[in-house]
Amino acid sequence: MIPFQFITAFLLMTMGIYALLYKRNLIKLVLALDIIDSGIHLLLISFGYRIEAGQIPTAPIYTGYETVKSAMVAPLPQALTLTSIVIGVCVLSLAMALTINAYRHYGSLDVNKLRRLRG
Amino acid sequence: MMLPYLIIIPLFGAFATPIVGLAGRKAREPWAIFITALTLGVAAELFYTVWKSGEILVYTLGAKSPLGQGVGFPIRIVWEVDLLGALFALMVTFIAFVAVLYSSEYMKHDTGLEKYYTLVLVLEVGMLGIAITGDLFNFYVFLEIMSIASYALVAFRNDTWEGIEAGIKYMFTGSLASSFILLGIVLLYGQYGTLTMAYLAKMIAENPTFTAKVALGLLAGGLLFKSGAVPVHMWLADAHPAAPSSISAMLSGLVIKIGGTYALARLAFSVFGMGVSTKTVGWIIILFACATLIVGNAMAIIQTDMKRLFAFSSVGQIGYILLGIGIGLAAYGSDVGNVALAGAIYHTVNHAIMKALLFLVAGAVIHQLGTKNLNELSGIARKMPVTSFAFLVGAAAIIGLPPLNGFASKWLIYESSALFNPFLAAIAIIGTAFCTAAYIRVLFTFFGRPSERVMNATEPGKAMLVPMLILVLAIIVMGLFPWVISEKVMIPAAKTLENAGAYVTALLGGA
Repeated sequence: MIPFQFITAFLLMTMGIYALLYKRNLIKLVLALDIIDSGIHLLLISFGYRIEAGQIPTAPIYTGYETVKSAMVAPLPQALTLTSIVIGVCVLSLAMALTINAYRHYGSLDVNKLRRLRG
Repeated sequence: MMLPYLIIIPLFGAFATPIVGLAGRKAREPWAIFITALTLGVAAELFYTVWKSGEILVYTLGAKSPLGQGVGFPIRIVWEVDLLGALFALMVTFIAFVAVLYSSEYMKHDTGLEKYYTLVLVLEVGMLGIAITGDLFNFYVFLEIMSIASYALVAFRNDTWEGIEAGIKYMFTGSLASSFILLGIVLLYGQYGTLTMAYLAKMIAENPTFTAKVALGLLAGGLLFKSGAVPVHMWLADAHPAAPSSISAMLSGLVIKIGGTYALARLAFSVFGMGVSTKTVGWIIILFACATLIVGNAMAIIQTDMKRLFAFSSVGQIGYILLGIGIGLAAYGSDVGNVALAGAIYHTVNHAIMKALLFLVAGAVIHQLGTKNLNELSGIARKMPVTSFAFLVGAAAIIGLPPLNGFASKWLIYESSALFNPFLAAIAIIGTAFCTAAYIRVLFTFFGRPSERVMNATEPGKAMLVPMLILVLAIIVMGLFPWVISEKVMIPAAKTLENAGAYVTALLGGA
């Protein structure tokens, strides 16, 4: 059986890609990028936790080290996710800056209006 | 060991630029030139060390050995440099140095230059990092450093609609491609629990699962996006012409190769080479390569915008490089594959120099005349003879005329593709025919009857002519000794890339 968090992650990614392909508002496109990233982060962080038999499943970021030593999760995915979130913030802020500039030049947030480059 | 300074120097230089800029407007150009020259020196030293010893350098961040204490597998971030990585690091630093030198005059009329030089140096850091890294997530981080810097630089002139529109298109396609690459890396981590490329290669060879193949598909898709292969090349034709010309030279000459074809070759050979069927992967890459060759070069013919023509020509040349890599994969281990791969590596270096030169010429024309429309540039050779001579050399080299460097690399690719499958050689020759047609047209414009607008043109200043002449010199010198370079550097580089076992052993030891 596929764990539910994997399904959720892929659902998020699919939603993001759908929005990126079919939405026209630039801000919605920026949000779509963020949703794709969130899906990947969810997938990554859920790899860090493996549900062992006979133990109560907890949140993947919760270690539970004090009680059961074997229940400690791998720390690497959390580090990777944090790094990836920071990168995501950079991309997002740059995208918003470009969106503001596009609104200044084109007077619209419709991505179909950004069609002056041709050839 | 000089390897860490390859990253430390430009990274320090990048974030020190605004502080140096406080000392006055005159200070930051020499600072940026100094930093890139220093990096070029470090890269040259690194290349010489690796070339002479023929070994693979391994550098572990924060410890002596990449292996964890008491465990038999690597847990730390490693940098792993073989001859190919060192060669590309040298190429990146050389072109970046030339572009920065050129910027000192070309960008003189723009504001916010301390941000410009910071971004250029950050872009260089990202590319150097990709060339030397041996860790998948580290690779992703450097890829994003490079990508974010290049999105910002494409949209640097944010008072024009052109830069903003191109920046937005570049940014959305680039971010989607990055997301695919990240997803591929995450899937590999989930399957094998490691991110070190050499160890991952060993695990994939032992147990190639379906997930690994899906991950390879995602990684290859993302990297083909980034390298501008057909059918996802449209962003390239918008983004590269809209950037300032010195940046176009770096984007077209370096970014699409380091962040596209080099990374693809590294992953396909060093990481997946021992686990998946190289024949299948090779043929998939060959299919994309053929489409890219034909479409890129054919689209170049009908352009009226000079920089857009060069950008489409870049798409076409990426086709040759992908063809070489594809044949190298499909004929893995044979002499044909080796020659094809050497041709691809050689063409990467050559095209970096040629396309950088052509974009610098385009920049000089824009700087002096304020237009890049080919219909208005007739007869420019009378007024700007040195610039036109540089263009002539660059165009002849990119077409592949014998005394220049483009000939040798294209010959290696034609030869190996003819031996592998004559049909592919025919496609490659058709691509070259289109390419010739496109450049002949520009040549006729340059050497035609002078138009009104051109009459008042003058040569650009020394700071713009010298970088162009450096590149012309590089093209001619490399063209004089093509087979020596190919025997001494390119074939060994192709061999190290093919020898995935050595890549693993260098890190894990023994085995």
